[in-house]
Amino acid sequence: MRSRIFAGLLLAAVSAGAAFAQGGPIKLADVAELSGGGATVGNNWKNGIDLAIEEINAKGGLLGRKLEVTHADSQSNPGVARAQVQKALDNEPYVLLGPGYSGSVKVTSPLAAEAGIAQIMGGEAAELTQGGNKFLFRTSFGQQSSMPKVAKYIHDELKAKSVAIVWVNNDFGKGGRDVITKEFAKYNIKIAADISTEAGQADFAADVSKIKAAAPDAVFIYLNEEESARILKELKRQAITVPLVGETTLVGQKVVELAGDAANGARGHVGLTTDAPVDLVKAFREKFVKKYNYVPDHNGLKGYLAIYMIKATTEKMGKVDAKRFADTLHGLTIKAASEPGILMDVTFDEKGDIDRQGFLVEIVEGKQVVKQVLPKLN
Amino acid sequence: MSATAKYWRIALGVAVIAALIIAPMNFNRYGLYILSQWAVMTIAAMGLNLTLGYAGQVSLAQGAFVGIGAYAAAIMTTQGMPLIAALGVAVVMCFAIGWILGYPALRVQHHYLAFVTLAFSTLAFLVFRNEDWLTKGIYGISNIPRPNVLGFATNRPLPFYYFCLGSLGIVSLAMWWLIRSPWGRAFVALRENPVRALSLGIDTRRYTLMAFAIGSALGGVAGTLYAPLTQYIDPVPFNLSLSLDLLMMVIVGGSGFFFGPFLGAMIAVLLPEWLRFTEGYYLMLYAVAVMLLLIYSPTGILGILDRYLSERRTKAASALRAVAKSRLETAP
Repeated sequence: MRSRIFAGLLLAAVSAGAAFAQGGPIKLADVAELSGGGATVGNNWKNGIDLAIEEINAKGGLLGRKLEVTHADSQSNPGVARAQVQKALDNEPYVLLGPGYSGSVKVTSPLAAEAGIAQIMGGEAAELTQGGNKFLFRTSFGQQSSMPKVAKYIHDELKAKSVAIVWVNNDFGKGGRDVITKEFAKYNIKIAADISTEAGQADFAADVSKIKAAAPDAVFIYLNEEESARILKELKRQAITVPLVGETTLVGQKVVELAGDAANGARGHVGLTTDAPVDLVKAFREKFVKKYNYVPDHNGLKGYLAIYMIKATTEKMGKVDAKRFADTLHGLTIKAASEPGILMDVTFDEKGDIDRQGFLVEIVEGKQVVKQVLPKLN
Repeated sequence: MSATAKYWRIALGVAVIAALIIAPMNFNRYGLYILSQWAVMTIAAMGLNLTLGYAGQVSLAQGAFVGIGAYAAAIMTTQGMPLIAALGVAVVMCFAIGWILGYPALRVQHHYLAFVTLAFSTLAFLVFRNEDWLTKGIYGISNIPRPNVLGFATNRPLPFYYFCLGSLGIVSLAMWWLIRSPWGRAFVALRENPVRALSLGIDTRRYTLMAFAIGSALGGVAGTLYAPLTQYIDPVPFNLSLSLDLLMMVIVGGSGFFFGPFLGAMIAVLLPEWLRFTEGYYLMLYAVAVMLLLIYSPTGILGILDRYLSERRTKAASALRAVAKSRLETAP
């Protein structure tokens, strides 16, 4: 009799414990570039995450549980990022978010994989998903999927035979430059000039002179927003009239604002932009501006999408299961019709790369005009 | 120093060493990583302390030497060579480059010298970034293996921490010996009064170069530990800010004090981590704390201790003097 009472008590205690665990918040850990060279990237990413979590919690949470996130600053330094990711993993989060810099992703992804925890990050370097890591997921196109589209456009539409490449010498710029150089080689497009520039560079006069001397059929520009605006102004000043092509950054809203007239005629491929002609993206932008008083760049979108990736995957599993998370997300298609937070239909492949629609846009009289919608592949 | 004070010191030393060995045994991986980072940065700061604190030469290139050591370790160990070989290469390279970099120190002093070393620091960064064929440029080098030491694998965080701690111990002993040797005395003489040092027959030229070279070589040693610690390196961590950080560690800890770099590295590595609970404010609070400390004690933490001890000594001495004086007066 006694033992039965004990057993009953035990059962009650266990089930109460389980119920408590079920009702407790779902812990997420974010490690991002909140200070240092990548502060814009990291803070946009963080704000996107916070906005999405606020929305989900306001609607009653995920499977009835609140989401909770801790943000840690990597100081844009891979060594610090590693320490912070280690700290985050020691607390056993459901999913790890970030970092945004590809170098920091490279140093931290083996740790997350070893812990068996999925990592949703912002890095765009091509090689990140090539190493067979089963726990790493992108939030945007890797350069290996965006650059071929740009090269194809330059070859098919612009019929360019020679191109000058201007890139920023960090892992983002160098990665893009290396991928597109290979793509150009496939089309037998000659590289008339290969110009490396510094992050934060103010004066592009010498670089533009080099482009002028090389007389290419088109210029491919792969710089951050501020630098893109500066070089556009300089290109106009030195009266270079060949087509100017970029990827995401060159045709962003911020560049148009900063460069003014000089941005007209610039064109490029855009994967993820708040200027996308998609109603859900426009709505996101409005919500973001209302909360933070500025227009986010694509990193804000990435952070927001990361949280909705978690939501969709968890709902698909029907429970919070960190071990099965990565397996479930591989091969998963999330439709914006059923999960508006994902903004655009997206599919994740076995490597953690994404497939989503993209846009070819041109700046006409200070406005982004979508010239072509590049559909989702599958 | 009285015999009891000496025993107290030894007891304190043993207690600290024992704590450094025993306490981390149940630390989590994050704690071990931070402590390992502390050990590595202490070694680099000790090198700078020799150049700056003992020999009085301002250097903004210590971060670059850590970088040279780290790249030597990363390149060689990913090619399958043992870390000890990389250590040898790093030490020889940093010693030689440090020696050459010391030549300007013979001609310029203080902030002029700082500028020369700053230029070198920038040069080293550009080499790390632009010489793709050797350093893989901005992509960095990943999958740096951790070494086997005396047959023990150090892949797990705890053994690797002991490896770093052991290296720190060896470097500390060597340094302890060095600054008590005639060389160490010569370095101090160089700092205090180069003209007098020269008149006493010290070859100031050779010792200046030597201080630079040995200090730089220790930067290289720290670098060869840094690479397997993070297991991935790219050029960014070795830019000027690391040199400035190391300079701060030496000054905050107490430049010219043997234990200065230990405390300085502790402040620089651990204080921002402790302050992280303040989220967006932690770097600001850290900066304010460092400024306040340097206003209160320009000679660093150990400067405070030193001031306190010398005050006590003066008090004790004046008490003794007073007693002696009164005895003298009352004497018949």
